[in-house]
Amino acid sequence: MENNVTINKAVSVVAFYFKNAGHRLKCFPKRMEYDGRRVEFTETGLRHPVQKGKSLVHVFDMTDGTADYRLEFDAENLDWRLVSIADAQLA
Amino acid sequence: MDTVRHNLNPEQPQILHIDLNSCFATVEQQARPLLRGRPLAVTNRLTVNACIVAASYEAKSQGIKVGMRLSEGKELVPDLITIETDPPKYHYVYQQLVRIMKSYSPKTTMKSIDEGIIDFTGTRSHINTRPLTAIGYEIKKRLRDDVGSWMRCNIGIAPNRFLAKTAASLHKPDGLDIITHANLRKTLASLELTDLTGIAERNEARLNACGIYTSLQFLEASPKVLKNQVFKSVIGEDWHQRLRGWEVDDVEWDTKTIGRQFVMDDYWASEEKVRSRLAHLCESTGLKMRHKGLCARGLSVYIRYKSGDYWHSRKAFKSTFFTNGEIYRRATLLFNQHPRLDYIVELGVTAYLLEASRTNQVSILEDINREVWLTEAVDEINQRFGNYTVTFASSADAKGKIKQKIPFGSTRYFELLIQES
Repeated sequence: MENNVTINKAVSVVAFYFKNAGHRLKCFPKRMEYDGRRVEFTETGLRHPVQKGKSLVHVFDMTDGTADYRLEFDAENLDWRLVSIADAQLA
Repeated sequence: MDTVRHNLNPEQPQILHIDLNSCFATVEQQARPLLRGRPLAVTNRLTVNACIVAASYEAKSQGIKVGMRLSEGKELVPDLITIETDPPKYHYVYQQLVRIMKSYSPKTTMKSIDEGIIDFTGTRSHINTRPLTAIGYEIKKRLRDDVGSWMRCNIGIAPNRFLAKTAASLHKPDGLDIITHANLRKTLASLELTDLTGIAERNEARLNACGIYTSLQFLEASPKVLKNQVFKSVIGEDWHQRLRGWEVDDVEWDTKTIGRQFVMDDYWASEEKVRSRLAHLCESTGLKMRHKGLCARGLSVYIRYKSGDYWHSRKAFKSTFFTNGEIYRRATLLFNQHPRLDYIVELGVTAYLLEASRTNQVSILEDINREVWLTEAVDEINQRFGNYTVTFASSADAKGKIKQKIPFGSTRYFELLIQES
């Protein structure tokens, strides 16, 4: 129905930015290195926590202007995972 | 003068109703910036027969309606983008909305996932001294700041819940309206009968049958006519009060039934497959019951066949039950009575005659105690590792097929749903 490609691979987030949201300073990814290329995020969609059993994962929906990226940050292991890429141009 | 003659509520509005616009679609557009400004439909499953549960304003403007089948939507708008519901996202937005609302008054009530009420009664003299319109605009701003720039909501301010909801639906999207005794008649004059919450086709026909064709005629109808001729019950008197701005909807209803239904993933499913789905529905019902701290004495099972026929059976038992095993045993007892008319396409289990659970009372029968302890242990494991980590072996196949979907109306099981997701 929609062009959504599941990736589910560990990635490096190499730059961050901070924003005041809900009276708290929150951290968002700014740049990601994936598959030998560098993705610069231009806008944050939504950041929301997801409970997986007892562990907490923060989900970030980001965009670089050409595609939407879904990233997960595991608050326990402190690692980043690129879950999926959705390309609106091909939808 | 008019206020006195019609017995309108002359109080200053104290109820603020917040309604998120096309909630799921807006949240998806917030999460995925590239979808903004495009026709988007949110469904519970990505199949052609799935029902559209939310549509973006862009889709609505092209004729897409909530409740439409996805295939119909695609026919109407070929470039319609479809997305499956993602409960954790909506839960997050719901939590943010509750947090914002509670910062103004402790008397907040969520009517559903996307709408809530703040009752400012008693808080205006010291805490919320500003006009409610200023607070309304501040809520809109906070929602955009805390969740995202694409989030919009309608706000309605009125002396009672019904009129506040009506006000919130006057200017979509992103409106803010007030209804008071001063502008009530003018506002109602611009609304059709079916624009009023609670008046759909049947109630409209009832009103029409008594010569009431407009909202203003509805307002002017006497309580006697509404009670004895239109609604033929006390509901008529409630409508008379409600339309005048008096509060009649500030009531909490007890849970009467708990259940789960499922439209089969396979319309030619074997008996074994149907039983596995039944086992899963029983587990889900048990989980909901224990989450609410209730046990049941009655159980009903219903089936819809491919031919369109419908069958159901219900039974009130002597003893109460709340464990998955007991629910499944009793549901199987009822299920075994069903006639083999055709393939089963829909299945449902509902527990009724609910009462407070007595799990802390140790039974003199060792078998019952063992089952209770086993259920408690399984619930603890599932709470830690996610729902349905430990299930009936017979329902293992159904686990991946039956997903808890986003509920309309009540948010009673939202925490459970999130745990499951």
